Amino acid sequence: MLEYRYPIAGTVPLRAAGETMDLERLGSLPASRLSFVRSLVRQMARQRWQISTARFDLDAQGHGVAIYRLQTPQGRYHGVIFSQQLADDQRSDRVIAQAWDVTFGVIEGDVDDALLEQMAANVPLQEAGRQHPRLLVLSRANRSLRNFAHFVESLSAGQQPDPAWLTRVGYLYRTTAVYGNGKFGIADFVRLQDNPDFHRPFSAQMLAVYLLRHFSIEQVEHIARCQAPEQAVPMATELRRYLGIGNSTGLGMAPFLINHPQLIQQWVTCRETALALALGQTPDEERRQRLIALTRRAMRHLDQTVTEDAEQGERNAAVVAALPEVIAWLEEVPLEETLWPQLAAWSARTLPLEAQELVNTLLIELYPEQVDPLEDQMGIEERLELTPDMPLVRLKQLIETHYDWALAEDFEAPESRYWFWYRSAEKEEPRLGVRGREPGAEKELSLAIAPRVHHTHGVLSEFLEANPRALVVEFLIAHPRHKDIVRRIQTMAETPYGEIRANLWHHEMKPMHLLRTKLSFFGAGRFDPKSDRWVRITLFQGAPLVEEINAEPRDLAEVDDWSFPLEPEGVMHAPRQEVGETS
Amino acid sequence: MKASYNELQGLCRKAFIGMGFEEGDAADAADMVAWMQCFGLGGLAALNRGLDFLLTDDPDEMPSVLYQDGDLAVVDGHGQSVLRSSTLALELGFAKARARGLSVIKIRHCHNRQLIMGYLARLAGRGMNVTAFWRNAEHPPTEQVVGFQANSSVPEIRVYAVKEVPEENEPNDGITLVMANHVDLLPAMRSDYRYDVLARHNESDLLACRHRSLAEGIEVDEAVWERLKHLATRMLVEATEASREGAGAGTNDND
Repeated sequence: MLEYRYPIAGTVPLRAAGETMDLERLGSLPASRLSFVRSLVRQMARQRWQISTARFDLDAQGHGVAIYRLQTPQGRYHGVIFSQQLADDQRSDRVIAQAWDVTFGVIEGDVDDALLEQMAANVPLQEAGRQHPRLLVLSRANRSLRNFAHFVESLSAGQQPDPAWLTRVGYLYRTTAVYGNGKFGIADFVRLQDNPDFHRPFSAQMLAVYLLRHFSIEQVEHIARCQAPEQAVPMATELRRYLGIGNSTGLGMAPFLINHPQLIQQWVTCRETALALALGQTPDEERRQRLIALTRRAMRHLDQTVTEDAEQGERNAAVVAALPEVIAWLEEVPLEETLWPQLAAWSARTLPLEAQELVNTLLIELYPEQVDPLEDQMGIEERLELTPDMPLVRLKQLIETHYDWALAEDFEAPESRYWFWYRSAEKEEPRLGVRGREPGAEKELSLAIAPRVHHTHGVLSEFLEANPRALVVEFLIAHPRHKDIVRRIQTMAETPYGEIRANLWHHEMKPMHLLRTKLSFFGAGRFDPKSDRWVRITLFQGAPLVEEINAEPRDLAEVDDWSFPLEPEGVMHAPRQEVGETS
Repeated sequence: MKASYNELQGLCRKAFIGMGFEEGDAADAADMVAWMQCFGLGGLAALNRGLDFLLTDDPDEMPSVLYQDGDLAVVDGHGQSVLRSSTLALELGFAKARARGLSVIKIRHCHNRQLIMGYLARLAGRGMNVTAFWRNAEHPPTEQVVGFQANSSVPEIRVYAVKEVPEENEPNDGITLVMANHVDLLPAMRSDYRYDVLARHNESDLLACRHRSLAEGIEVDEAVWERLKHLATRMLVEATEASREGAGAGTNDND
């Protein structure tokens, strides 16, 4: 059996899975200090990673090749970026797109001419290319045309762009897929297991995105310089900081959450453990004031968050409306030993879901020393294993104990079996279809766990009546089609979290919650749903810049304090800087 | 061409689903092929040799237990590939060995037997000592023994030809498995009969091969790769305008 690594929490128990793994709650999570972007930046600063430009061959339009070298104490890597002219009619965020404004990747080790040639021939093709086994990450991104044009225009005119543009859309580029783990021939994640730099889940992918952010700043300044060499100015530091990288995500993210329950279990356990650790700490005045300050910042950040999605807009507004009550509560309640558990209990009773999880996230923020070691426990070797010698009656008990939420659903009701999930012939894009109305249900992906568990429970109950002393393996030999779900149940019943408690067939199921679950662990901000099936978010907005990391900052707490970034003030009236001068 | 381990495993899984395998069987079969290929033991070639049979196998004809008691079971594989027929027989042996210390499983009438090694690795990973033995119908007959020590991911493998064997009429289409909870069952050559060792794979060679596969990619035959890709498309649903609309971002994102 796999050994699960359970972080040790303090005296406060972890929340029940029924509460934590509810899909709507998961879909309310904000990014936290355990999110992958935060962990990466801390690691970069702590270990004094150095990023330098190895090549920057761009023409006046910004097209060409850029290579960034990353030196860590343990190894050397290169981010290689290809920028090309893209016709407007080809610019699509969908996985079915075939060309992008930039394509890029992160190579382990050095890049010689032969490798660069191989990459130039394949990286721009993305899925259609054969990628190199030393490529750790493969990705692509499209420009935000309006932001890009505004930034070039302003900088080339010697002016700073208006930060409000980044409040509306927080980036110049948005990625539309960031591939890791062996996709299209790139390196398997298992190869990174012993790599001290990138053994954490998605850390190499986050580095690729971080390098793209740096490139986007350098590229837009380069184009402005080319357009007006005498007049152009570099971007102000506050603006650079406020610039993130976007990501456009659709249903493609959903299967990952269902197909990696052990990883999800690990992520959620770490987050819940962090919360329990924070709640178990004795509060002091300094931390109370810090929590009030963080709450104010988060409130302003959410107030500045722009989304056209009415539902998300209402949710944001509800949180912004609720947070003054949190501040008032914190200012009024006496500083007792149990202040944090009191806050969590009051919040759970009175606040909307998103505000509850925001308060929890801010509590986690208060205790870096206790919380940050958990970031090394976010990964796990995944394998769902059968326990064939388990008595079948025990399996039945496990289902009734751990999957009661699946048994409670009535799968005869039409609304409970409304959707089916499938992969389209177009680049294998995952899609949702209406059962009985759209074609393809016979090729359904088995993503909905609840109906499978429900069905297996019925079949094994019947088998058990005739064979009360049967073992699991005997049941499976008689009913082999249940092998997959049985080993999932047996494995996951060992863990508190992992199964997202929702019927993914249900008419009212919101795929957006699945996407947000994963994106929150990535560290996404500016959550901006474009429909119930795809969303745009921003990563690294507010994060320290490459030059700040390169300067080997001493105050690591300050470097790490970039959550919930706010629109910078007074940038447009800053004194004019000369070209090449570091702002 | 070169492929990554995850890519190979993923493509095989999709291809097996395309062939009508159940989700769990498809995942196991993919693991078995990818495991062999990663260790340089020709998993894809073995799969390719059995692919035509696999495509004609009746997916509803499940392996059946002909006999069993506490220590022993005989399973009829109904002439199917071990990719379809062996995993639950192996799990049965695992359960018996856990209960009784040692078990013997015979799977009769199965093919593609090389591919069983990947699943044996999995059982060994769960703390079981496992040895598999089978004989090929050649002249002189060849025998293959594969042994895993408990908790080891790498087997000892011996293939040898036996010159003098007593005459017998049993078909050579079965496989015998011995599992022991507590004692090693590794193959070591010792016999009074004449034999020629044809192949021998040691732990260090196999581990070096795996390391190379992960560092440099796994060499795969393009024709087999294309065939698997084609099979994998069977699980895909043809796109329609309606499905395209509801899947994600717009087809044009100039903003």
